[in-house]
Amino acid sequence: MRIWMHELRLLLRARLALVALALLGTLSIAAVVAGSAEVDRQRDAIAVIAEPQESDIAAIAAWVDKSKDAGSAAYYSFHPTWDAPSPLAFAAIGMRDVAPFILRVRALGLEAQIYDGDIFNPELALPGRFDFAFLLVFLAPLFVIALFHDLVSGEREAGREPMLCALPGARRLWLRRVALRFAMLFLVLALPFTIAAIHSGAGAGAILLILAAAAAYLLFWIALALLVGRLGWSSVANAATLASCWLVLTLVLPTLAHVTINRAIPVGQGTEIALAQREKVNSAWEIPREETMRRFYATHPEWADSPPLGPEFHYKWYLAFHQVGDESVAGQVRAYRAGLERRDAAARTLGWVLPPVGLQALLTRLAETDLEAQLAYQDRIRDFHRHLREFYYGYLFTDRPFGQEDFARAPRFASP
Amino acid sequence: MPEPASASIELSGVSLSYGAHRVLDGLALRVDRGMIYALLGGNGAGKSTTLSVLLGFAKPDAGAVRVAGLDPVAKADAARQRIAYLPENVALYEHLTAIENADYLLALSGEPKPREAIVGAFGAAGLQERAWDQQLGGFSKGMRQKVAIAVALLREVPVLLLDEPTSGLDPRATADFNGLLAAVRERGTAVLMVTHDLMSAVDVADRIGFIDAGRIVDEVAAEGAERFDLRALHDRFANDVAAA
Repeated sequence: MRIWMHELRLLLRARLALVALALLGTLSIAAVVAGSAEVDRQRDAIAVIAEPQESDIAAIAAWVDKSKDAGSAAYYSFHPTWDAPSPLAFAAIGMRDVAPFILRVRALGLEAQIYDGDIFNPELALPGRFDFAFLLVFLAPLFVIALFHDLVSGEREAGREPMLCALPGARRLWLRRVALRFAMLFLVLALPFTIAAIHSGAGAGAILLILAAAAAYLLFWIALALLVGRLGWSSVANAATLASCWLVLTLVLPTLAHVTINRAIPVGQGTEIALAQREKVNSAWEIPREETMRRFYATHPEWADSPPLGPEFHYKWYLAFHQVGDESVAGQVRAYRAGLERRDAAARTLGWVLPPVGLQALLTRLAETDLEAQLAYQDRIRDFHRHLREFYYGYLFTDRPFGQEDFARAPRFASP
Repeated sequence: MPEPASASIELSGVSLSYGAHRVLDGLALRVDRGMIYALLGGNGAGKSTTLSVLLGFAKPDAGAVRVAGLDPVAKADAARQRIAYLPENVALYEHLTAIENADYLLALSGEPKPREAIVGAFGAAGLQERAWDQQLGGFSKGMRQKVAIAVALLREVPVLLLDEPTSGLDPRATADFNGLLAAVRERGTAVLMVTHDLMSAVDVADRIGFIDAGRIVDEVAAEGAERFDLRALHDRFANDVAAA
């Protein structure tokens, strides 16, 4: 134990090490605080939906009650959906920065509503938010380099290496120093995260998995630093070499891989789907209404015995051509989603050879802030929207009046 | 009857080459307990390599090496437990105090000692009291050597290896150091010092060996009150260095 205390004192008396550890600790706290603040902001935004929603619906209900028109109810009522952040979302904000986590939908065409808000924060898409994942993946390796680049070369340059090597247990000395530096780095990096994760109610398994991944990632960079150290170069040369490795492994190769994957797996923009759906919907005004209804009943025979359209406007026709519009872009939606999933899978595969990419993918998966989580939210929206349509169709296609009390019967989105 | 001296350092027929360059060529020398052996030689004669072999840093191609009866390569840790080594420039941790340095080195050696023992050894090594709790940043080479010697004294090792211990020391500091070595010898420690400093060797050594091209070419033992014939030694050393 005494020798460990000696090593600790030696480490903390070295200015670079002390500054590096203090800075990493500060950044770690800042990353956790920033991530938590963002997640709190998102939770607050979700929490305040209910009250204005109630007053909004009440106002619509009062107005609709005069006409008892289910179509007006369907047209004017917005229904909130939301993707509540997981307990670990603060650690890796992931796609929650660029994809909507709240979407108020109407029983009209869904795809345009989903893809209109495909990307709403593009300036954050490239660098990502400053959170624990960013600190761990991109900045932590620099601190490993700061503490390990001169582990042996520093002793050699100071002239102490021969005397240290002449002591019994010299090999244990280096192992001890590696272990101590690793432990200090891991401690200052992981402690703020662990406290925040426990506080946010994350499961022990997920916390341990992230800690294990963080430890493995640090060990990867430590191994690289030790490998470079074995070349017998000067501390400056070691630092320059490791900094180059950092640049290549965390920035250059992932960026090249990103470009390559995007080229190999072309995927259109979500807004193209929204545009296509809107065009279909808009062109429906030019098509004979019976034609639209025929197409709608072909895929929704359960409403085929609805009374035929009269000469006046009827919302069942309006909602039908919105649904037909959705169905006409279903192939595009499937292709878009499949493309995104293929890109994601390719990036995950790349993570096996590029640790920064692999770690980032793992962190966003555990934090449920990755593409998979985003698509799962879309699935929940679609499922909810289907119930919403069925609810309004029950009135529209049977010409049942829609009174104030019917608003309370409308489906409500439930977050898992 | 005097007790027969036992060899604490023994090299016999030691050869070592780096590529095509033969650095040690059948080197043989012996240092007994309580003996100071000064190994003199020119640059590239093999002095530092001899120390590397004794420390187990380099493995000889041929020959036998024993330090306190142990093979320093095969039994590296055990051998180093019995060796204290002072390189030419004793570099310690400048941001630690003298006591913290000694405490740390002793802990590294697996032989921790209390503060009282450390300051006692500092006193024996001639390190002034006001320096004990000072950081080593401002220490002279002589003062740093005293810290290292104090550590060696505390470890009670049977073998002390010194690399150019008096280079860069002023005459007063050299005399102090030699006095310290004499005290170490009295404890029964075998001391091997490689040096260019003939005067210092004459002053303190019991035996002086001249190394050239990796082997001992001349060896002289101290005799009587005069110890060494300085003039003759100087000539022999100068010839050896010139030949090298």
